[in-house]
Amino acid sequence: MKIMETLIEQKTKKKQGMQVREIYERAFPRVAAFVSRTGGSFDDAKDIFHDALVVYYEVTAQDSSRIRGPEEAYLLGIVKHLWGRKHQRSRMMIPMSEFEREISVPDDVTPTVEDKRLLRILESVGRKCMDLLRAFYYQQRPVKELTVTLGYTNEHAASAQKYKCLEKVRNTIKQKSMNYDDFIQ
Amino acid sequence: MTTSSNNNRTIEKYLQGEMSPSEKFLFEAQLLINPGLRMEVRAQKKAYTLVRMYHRKKLKEELESVHQQIFSDPEKTIYQQHVYQLFKQEGI
Repeated sequence: MKIMETLIEQKTKKKQGMQVREIYERAFPRVAAFVSRTGGSFDDAKDIFHDALVVYYEVTAQDSSRIRGPEEAYLLGIVKHLWGRKHQRSRMMIPMSEFEREISVPDDVTPTVEDKRLLRILESVGRKCMDLLRAFYYQQRPVKELTVTLGYTNEHAASAQKYKCLEKVRNTIKQKSMNYDDFIQ
Repeated sequence: MTTSSNNNRTIEKYLQGEMSPSEKFLFEAQLLINPGLRMEVRAQKKAYTLVRMYHRKKLKEELESVHQQIFSDPEKTIYQQHVYQLFKQEGI
């Protein structure tokens, strides 16, 4: 049973990997054409496309029914929103179709300078905890599986470790935050 | 009264909207009178934000490797040329 489960899981993982590459190959040329037309470089296209894919996966993870139409068109829509935000100051007008306008894109895709700084600190002092918390909150692995992969003796221990990590991250944030007023009163 | 070492379970329940109406009412009453607890809630919220940033960063590292795979695949030269060509319009 166990072996079967692992095999199936590996298969779906492989499939996911292929799917990512397929979507990438199909959607990237359209994104690149758009970015090039609006004056961006190859690297601009790549960066904005990666941001858009991250948004796309977050949306599909939450509620895939929100995605309508072909993936490439949806991705290009996200790219247009992000590209528009990036060039807000130059007031570049980006024409969007009705379909594209209706796509909602989270406004925290680009982290603030302060968040970037805090993240660097957390990566250097608590990478293990960050990996564990990421697995808990974003990789949708059941506690049982995490218990095995992270080498804990039982589910309770894994769950306890999660809260310990949360505590550690929280304390680091309190100590290292520049926005002192946010945390000290 | 919750102490700082074990209140993160409670705060998580609160932030994820998993409290019953009465639990929520009590917790919010505590928030009003306890600035220390308010601070913990804010810091914990930030912790979730940073885990999300970390997750996104890791995803982008994976995407970067997919990108490298495609753009170094010898069977994909036509595809690669097609994309590169899009950025070489100026000289014409």
